[in-house]
Amino acid sequence: MSAKPEFIEAAKAGNVLARKCTKCNDLHLATVYFCKKCGSKEFEDSILKGTGKVVTYTIMTVPPAGFEDLSPYAWVVMELGDYDLRISGFLANIQKPGDLPIGAAVKVVDFDDRGIVLEKL
Amino acid sequence: MEKVCVLGAGSTKYGKLEDSISDITIQASVGAIENAGIEPKEIQAGYISNVFGVADKQVHLGPVVMSNLGISECPSLSIESACGSGSVSFREGFANVAAGFYDAVLVTGTEKVTHTGTDWTTTYFSYCSDFFYEGQAGASFPGLFASMARAYLHEFDATEEDLASVAVKNHENGFLNPKAHFRKKITIDDVMNSAVVASPLKLYDCCPFSDGASSVILCNEKFAKEHSKDYVKVIGSGRGGSPAALQGREHLTTIPSTKIAAEAAYKMAGITSKNVDFAEVHDCFTVAEVVDTEDLGFFEKGTGATAAQNGETKLNGSISINPSGGLKSKGHPIGATGVGQIVEVFEQLTGQSGERTVNDAKIGLTQNFGATGASCAVHIFQSV
Repeated sequence: MSAKPEFIEAAKAGNVLARKCTKCNDLHLATVYFCKKCGSKEFEDSILKGTGKVVTYTIMTVPPAGFEDLSPYAWVVMELGDYDLRISGFLANIQKPGDLPIGAAVKVVDFDDRGIVLEKL
Repeated sequence: MEKVCVLGAGSTKYGKLEDSISDITIQASVGAIENAGIEPKEIQAGYISNVFGVADKQVHLGPVVMSNLGISECPSLSIESACGSGSVSFREGFANVAAGFYDAVLVTGTEKVTHTGTDWTTTYFSYCSDFFYEGQAGASFPGLFASMARAYLHEFDATEEDLASVAVKNHENGFLNPKAHFRKKITIDDVMNSAVVASPLKLYDCCPFSDGASSVILCNEKFAKEHSKDYVKVIGSGRGGSPAALQGREHLTTIPSTKIAAEAAYKMAGITSKNVDFAEVHDCFTVAEVVDTEDLGFFEKGTGATAAQNGETKLNGSISINPSGGLKSKGHPIGATGVGQIVEVFEQLTGQSGERTVNDAKIGLTQNFGATGASCAVHIFQSV
């Protein structure tokens, strides 16, 4: 059974559903099946608060289908809080690079029918 | 393991082509067969790389190609690995000849997408990403590479103009390539003033969507010698993988699969990056070429952009990168690209590359990846 529905539900509540390897404690997004570090498939679910910092981003001025209403928007890779775990999503109303410097604080606020929705903190 | 050689190569022009995908695939294959000086009946297997045959109403291309070559009984298969399909297909042909299963095989890469329009192509290409996390969430391929470019410019002492110099250099090379999609020289200002697609990447930082097909004949050394013709030895072959989504990578200024593939290929060849005379690398975006040239060991991490700006990667610079014009100028028919790079190396090492010849070249390398480098193959070739 895919973990995606639960992952999406967690994101809708502003959280990130992760899986912690019970053997080596390595942290993964909930959609993995085996630990990348030790190969174990024994995990415990871990609900992480969806706040963190921008690792990198782009401002999409030529949007793909389904994003025309948002353009320009940022597509962002963020690192979650103090965890060694990254997620990505989109962030509306970003016009220029100064609006979202690398390191800026952002949070997960939703998962709409496209993907993780982020906002600036 | 048998020694494996490239005996012949052929290619259509890259660009917007009128003929169907099956036609261009067959045309490139016939070109390779004639260039190799063999009969179709000497081919024992076919490897066809393609991603979006569905766009031109033809998948299962292998039997169509083989039937039109008069060898319908010959086994074939289709291989998809996004933009890295061509080199993976080549690798399968290489492995099968090296293992002794076949004496000679056909490897043809092909793509026909320009008739679908930019919107369709952008959407369908995004299916090559980790779609749940990337394409579906608003990241086009320019967006994904722009995110890598942002990280690169943040981490290292490099500028957008440095990245632009990659496009300028590749257009200079492509200008000399009769089969290139764009045969037009451009300037740094042209790149900097082109429309922003996904900041910091602009239109001229991006390769085009192209149609095209490329093909090579691979064989064992005994077969090559019997045909008493110029051939090129395949001395290294490596593949590697990376986390499919950028969020899964520790560093965004390097592509792990390239390093893994290169290490394996260098080891097999018994050489280092210093022995390579020229390389065809995967420059789908300007930043990609910079990262590639570092990951392949030609430049220290963080110095590839300034090396490009300083002219080190120009034709007959300290190491010629993409003498064909690369994906940027020669074009990027995604299923064909990896084979097209090998066609270029073959032509360079057998004196068939005209005005864009790399002087005194003995060893050429190709690096071709899928998506943002989630998969990669590196091959190394030596003249005889």
